[in-house]
Amino acid sequence: MTAIAESSGLWQSLYQGRAAFVRYWAYIGLMLGAVGLAMFGGDGYTENGYIFQLVGQDGLIWLGTGALLGAGLSIMASVAKPSIIHGRIPQMMVSWFDGGALMIVLMALFTLLEPTSAMVSYEDQSNLFAGHVIMTMNILFIFSAICYIAYLFAPESFIGKMATAAAWGAVYAGGSSLLLRWYESYLFMDGDIGHAPVSNIYEVFILLFCITTIIYLQWERRYQAKAMGAFVMALVASGVFFGIWLDSVGQAEIKPLVPALQSYWMKIHVPMNFIGYGSFAVACGAGMAYLVRQWLEARNSKMVAVFPSLDALDQLAYKSVAVGFPAFTLATILGAAWAAEAWGGYWSWDPKETWALIVWLVYGAYLHVRISHGWHGRTLAWWTVIAFLVTVFCFLGVNMYLAGLHSYGRLS
Amino acid sequence: MACRGAYDAAMSQFSNYLKPILLRLGSMSLAVTLLVVVALASVIGTVLLQNQDQTDYLQQFGPIWYWVFRALGLFDMYHTWWFLSLLGFLMLSLSVCLWRNVPRFLKEMRSSKVSLSDQAIKHMKHAKHWDIKGQSAEVVLEVARKRLHEWNLREETRGDVSYIRADKGSKHKWGYILVHSAMLVILIGGWVSVHFSFRGNMQVPVGAKESEISFLEGTSVAYKKMPFEVRCNDFNIAFYPNGMPKEFRSNLTIIDQGKEVLTSDIIVNEPLYYKGVRIYQASFGDGGSKIKLKLLKLDGTGDIETINTRVYTTFKDEKTGVTLEMTDFRPHNVENMADVGQKKDFQDLGPSVDFIMRGPGFKPVKVRSFLNPFELEGQNRGSFMQVSFSGQTEGFQSIALGLDMTNPQEWQLFQRFIIHLADVDLKTSEPQKANMKAFREAMDDVFGKGKRPENFQAMAMRVLQAVQVIPRLPWPYVPVLDDYDQTYYTGLQLAKDPGMNVIWVGSALLVIGLCIMLYVAHRKLWVIVRRKGNDVQVSLVGLSNRNPLNFEREFHQILSDMEDDMQSLKQGDVI
Repeated sequence: MTAIAESSGLWQSLYQGRAAFVRYWAYIGLMLGAVGLAMFGGDGYTENGYIFQLVGQDGLIWLGTGALLGAGLSIMASVAKPSIIHGRIPQMMVSWFDGGALMIVLMALFTLLEPTSAMVSYEDQSNLFAGHVIMTMNILFIFSAICYIAYLFAPESFIGKMATAAAWGAVYAGGSSLLLRWYESYLFMDGDIGHAPVSNIYEVFILLFCITTIIYLQWERRYQAKAMGAFVMALVASGVFFGIWLDSVGQAEIKPLVPALQSYWMKIHVPMNFIGYGSFAVACGAGMAYLVRQWLEARNSKMVAVFPSLDALDQLAYKSVAVGFPAFTLATILGAAWAAEAWGGYWSWDPKETWALIVWLVYGAYLHVRISHGWHGRTLAWWTVIAFLVTVFCFLGVNMYLAGLHSYGRLS
Repeated sequence: MACRGAYDAAMSQFSNYLKPILLRLGSMSLAVTLLVVVALASVIGTVLLQNQDQTDYLQQFGPIWYWVFRALGLFDMYHTWWFLSLLGFLMLSLSVCLWRNVPRFLKEMRSSKVSLSDQAIKHMKHAKHWDIKGQSAEVVLEVARKRLHEWNLREETRGDVSYIRADKGSKHKWGYILVHSAMLVILIGGWVSVHFSFRGNMQVPVGAKESEISFLEGTSVAYKKMPFEVRCNDFNIAFYPNGMPKEFRSNLTIIDQGKEVLTSDIIVNEPLYYKGVRIYQASFGDGGSKIKLKLLKLDGTGDIETINTRVYTTFKDEKTGVTLEMTDFRPHNVENMADVGQKKDFQDLGPSVDFIMRGPGFKPVKVRSFLNPFELEGQNRGSFMQVSFSGQTEGFQSIALGLDMTNPQEWQLFQRFIIHLADVDLKTSEPQKANMKAFREAMDDVFGKGKRPENFQAMAMRVLQAVQVIPRLPWPYVPVLDDYDQTYYTGLQLAKDPGMNVIWVGSALLVIGLCIMLYVAHRKLWVIVRRKGNDVQVSLVGLSNRNPLNFEREFHQILSDMEDDMQSLKQGDVI
């Protein structure tokens, strides 16, 4: 008993006070080091070379210096003004950074399991290890969704814990599999086609699952909204089946980047967009949970007790939109900036752009009626569900049915 | 004076009319309606392909719908008067919104009341009261100040009651102001772009220069002269091993008033900037490559004529009346040669030239002729070409000519074989033998009696195949690509957009404003201390304009801290 208490005390102390504060600044230093390396290090930034710079000697010097400087300065600051270590942002962010670091460690471990270079080729990518990690992710996501749904009917804490654990496991599998694909893209054609794993619909789907799940898990932890998981994870699981289908028709292959996509903007614009899409998915899950709870209430079902209150679900839907909307706005702006640099104009009324605008307007209208008109409840729950359908069309339907400048996202 | 009065009366009457209109314009319902209407209208333009050829539309929709759609401007929808008016309305609505609300918000932010009426206290959702005996109000207030030192505090005393008002996030209304002004700025930026920007294309062959861009204006093409010339010194494409293009790179020189001012490389995603104009790598194509064609006559003479022409020109043969309109040249044709489902096998089939062949006595055809013979499993399977009788690239069918046209002796052999075959008696009992004899004679004619070249078996196979194919071609000759001197043109896009910087400013404001609006909650706490003789009654009340879940938590934290403070005050400790 005491051992557990002590170890959890140790665990907690890692995420509070000086340990968290110094680690946070070490991470920040590390990232600034990476930026510094890109901007001023070696022979300058090259799309293909940078990743090798990061893991090479240059990277060790720049990143190490950054991390040490961050740690050192933060220790000095915390000595000079001890109250500084209780700031909220370092405590909040440090677990995110740790999670990211864990994904990188997992990815590094997976690279050890990669088959020899003789066994992989561009033409036949079936031997690559990321495929196994992705399959693990798929299974965990589906298992998690089943557990969450089972939890609605049998609210045992054990089932709930399993659901959460599987969801976290799937997030780490998904995140590390994407990183592994990044690494794998350098394994053939003499490393000529290496690129970030956000270049085709299969990869961004994995990204979307992970982001959606992470956002949901945050709400679950903070607001005890476990019943909502059944809806969010059901959405994710149906996406997983779509992903499996994509793989079966050969969409999962790593392909070279067309010149239009060879830009650092891709690494910023695409993930930012999917933070938006992911939060809208969570909002949709909350909206569905709201509608189902209301339906259950009308029939005096006992299952209602599992659900968070209507008010809380309403709030959670709004919170998700509040995360997604600025992210989506920023993503669209970044997209405009990229378009200005690659296509000669920030806005071309390309179908993808127009649909992004439509999504933006739909959620903008949602915020208007909610914040200024004070609408709540049922209507807005429906709104989040329908708005998500519009979102799905924006990121899938446009690629499937409408031609345009974004046609490299096409299913072929 | 009277005049003045009349003016005021008129003004007030005017504003009586104006006010309801303005109220309506600035109303939320109109704003939401506008957002939804713009969203729905935008859908049309994504479903209906914009700025296509008018004849395509006519074909697609039939005459009636074509004219209806055309009258509504749906083929260039985002520039129609009604869509622009919608955006204009949005701007108007935004302006009225700002004009109505900003002064009020600023005033509220400046002068919010410190004190709180008893009625208001009763209605607070979060409230807690303590009675503390034997402590002065000053001590209690000091304790509260210490506890709330992270908050923005203001105090007021009215008679026996002292108020401490604590605020966090009181600047949240700036979020509203920033977001709405940002949208206005962005729309203004868009308007500036529409009126003062240009964006057009030019095609510059390697070695040539150009100073005019072309662009779509409505549905017709317009031209514009640039204040400088662009010369393309070089254009290169790098390929991935699977034949996908990896990089398009142009080396350009800017010539301003006859002087070379700037030479630089551009690639996709890295444009060149000169005098406010950005120059983008947008496309490429054939810049009029020199083409040498062999015309292998099918008139029985077996003559080979060579002609020199260029891409984008038409060669006319006076004797036969045949014209060859050269349309394109490609230096590489990488194809996946594996069957569907098999491991991919990319092969470069080499250079090819596209042309349209027209003439008397046969249907016009589109032809893609390859320079190299086709190799399969290391064996020479002879030259081939792709022919489309529909004139579309999709309709290409491969025709294996059988012969390796790069070897003139093979053509000669084929001719001699045809001649000797004509001598074969059709009624012979042993056609196989007779054919063999004809072939041997043809060999003797070409290579000398009894002499045989290396690989003559393979050559024999090819010639036999050619006999099945070539005589059936309806043309006076078989045109085959013989040699080339390639030139590319680089397709550049030139754009200047003074509205762009306005857009970026608006975008930055928008994101900052959204973050303030959505994440900064205005939280208010009041500590109210009432003196009652020697005792005091302390109340803690609070409210937040958003995020009630978080505020509840925050309030309870403060409440339990204050509870501790008050307990120790009750016990007489002075902290």
